[in-house]
Amino acid sequence: MSADTRKKVSIVIGSGGIKCAAAIGLVKVLEEADIPIDLVVGCSGGSMYAGLIAAGKSAEEMQERTIFLWTTEVMKDYTSNLKATQDGSLRFNERSGLVDDSVMNTRLEETFGQIFFENLKRPLLLVATDLMTGERVVLNKGSLFPAVRASLAIPIIMPPWEVDGALLVDGAAVDPLPVDVAIQEGADVIIAMGFMLSNRGRMRSMTAVQQQLNNIYMNNILRATYAFYNLAHHAEIFPILPDFEEPLGMFDTDKLPDIIARGEAAARAELPHIQRLLAA
Amino acid sequence: MPSQKKVALVIGSGSVKCAAALGLKQALDRAGIPINMLVGCSGGSLYAALMALNVPTEEIAAMSARLWTRALTARANRRALWQALFPKLAKFDSSFSLRDDKAINRQLQAVYGGKRFEDASIPLYITATDFMTGELVTLSRGDLLPAIRASLAIPLIFPAVQHEGRTLVDGYLSDPLPVSVAIREGADIIIAIGFQADTQSHLSSLMRYTFQFTSVVSNNLLKSNYAFTSLAHHSEVLLMVPEFEQRVRLFDTDKIPYVIQVGEREMGKQLPYLQQLLSN
Amino acid sequence: MEMKLEMDGTVAIVIASGSIDALTAPELANFINLQIQDGHTRLVADLAGVDYTSSAGLRVLLGAVKETRSKGGDLRLANIQPDVKKVLDLSGFTSILKHFPDRAAAIASYNG
Repeated sequence: MSADTRKKVSIVIGSGGIKCAAAIGLVKVLEEADIPIDLVVGCSGGSMYAGLIAAGKSAEEMQERTIFLWTTEVMKDYTSNLKATQDGSLRFNERSGLVDDSVMNTRLEETFGQIFFENLKRPLLLVATDLMTGERVVLNKGSLFPAVRASLAIPIIMPPWEVDGALLVDGAAVDPLPVDVAIQEGADVIIAMGFMLSNRGRMRSMTAVQQQLNNIYMNNILRATYAFYNLAHHAEIFPILPDFEEPLGMFDTDKLPDIIARGEAAARAELPHIQRLLAA
Repeated sequence: MPSQKKVALVIGSGSVKCAAALGLKQALDRAGIPINMLVGCSGGSLYAALMALNVPTEEIAAMSARLWTRALTARANRRALWQALFPKLAKFDSSFSLRDDKAINRQLQAVYGGKRFEDASIPLYITATDFMTGELVTLSRGDLLPAIRASLAIPLIFPAVQHEGRTLVDGYLSDPLPVSVAIREGADIIIAIGFQADTQSHLSSLMRYTFQFTSVVSNNLLKSNYAFTSLAHHSEVLLMVPEFEQRVRLFDTDKIPYVIQVGEREMGKQLPYLQQLLSN
Repeated sequence: MEMKLEMDGTVAIVIASGSIDALTAPELANFINLQIQDGHTRLVADLAGVDYTSSAGLRVLLGAVKETRSKGGDLRLANIQPDVKKVLDLSGFTSILKHFPDRAAAIASYNG
């Protein structure tokens, strides 16, 4: 089949914290099956992997970056700042976050600062949310660092990131699995890896209740947006939702091999259907 | 000859703003258009239930001012402060709330006590959210009181409601405007009135930041659910999201006449088209 | 994909098996449309044998649902397999379609 009639394949990596490392397993399966990736879209934690995949990094490099980025140091001063906002000694405003983001910024800058959207191996688009209007913002210009940083800025925990005068936060608040961006860019076959957040059985603190509320919202936005994209797209969308029996902690990098294996297994289960469509 | 088409009215969440549904109903009454099904979420459930019980619209308007009083939420739950500060000592659990719900229960009891879904002359559906799974729950049988109370249970403010083995909270968490229920229950023409939460451009405290974030996600949830249902429905969905020139806050009961007017105006704009649809 | 029809009173039961995807869904939609043309608008789709549904497949199926509904009927689902249920939940289909654990319950829902 000639290159210009070939169906354009896009992968979309949704929001899901450390679970997004499952994308490493997905790429492995697609590469083994010789399925080309023409476009990469990412949101929140998925932006990190979308960026690395678009830059053509190997599975080993992506694993190494995961361990480097997902460490407790990026949560610097969280507990003391939380106390300080409660007793009123720390004023909070729209530019605030509960963590000191200096460590995170240094590490993200080191990983993505010198990579530019304009010279990636594969076209890349990342999604963030405008904190003031709630609207979706698609980032695809300049250095990857500000885009990745903005896309994964969990509100309240991490300070927003300013891009072109707008304060941007986590893309999950508007579009946790941004299939729409791939549709807009003219993709035919869309392989969308998304993550449902785990519910908490028992809630023993106010933070746990707030986290549950957040999870409920994100899961419902994921379902609602996906439901619409599913009807709106002209061709096929393959949702890949890896199963995780137990909730993962934010920094469970020791579970990395298992996360990647689950991503790989979920992708493998969908592969025959993808191949059938690409051959048709 | 009356139209064969089943008309549903869906009233979304929006606290005092939900009174706009009364203006809408007045416009329909005057045009002689009957409603065959009612769906209510959160504040909207208060109005949907009274309409389903065939309470005259003027009477509901008079009751409105009595329902939305500060007495509803003014009493702080003292135990809650202890629970929030010392979760282990004070036994924090999912029934946690910052407000005492005696006042709201008393007021709801006075209006809806002893009434059942089966008493309604128009089929009525009230939505809540399962706090453990995040799923939308449709209530349509038995006593009205627990259903309405569940639909209104703003997490952290009011205690959740234990109902038929489930922990239920406010319906807006899963869908602020549950058009999907009307589709599933066989409505043809769906009139849906929903409300956008206000967003600010400057956030001066952690609490305001949290409110902003909640507004952003629930507005996005409303948008994406609507995007899906408008494509999925076999007939027409007439959507109204009224713009309020005056700011309407939670206990602005003196604004209720204004809110009703806005609803009437919005319905007025769509009335000719609705009449056309019904005569076809 | 294979399809079969059974009647229970005025309810037509469409028994499908295999994959509902871009390649097979048009057949299913045709099959359902034939029943509608025959005057059957109260339909139950028994999905016990359906192991896969794709996005393009679902869109075609939705066309059939809209058709029955605009004729005053409905399409209700029974026996949804777990993998298929996952996709139907994600795509919003379970929020707009009535679905039941088994065929008898789906049929009974028309007589309630």
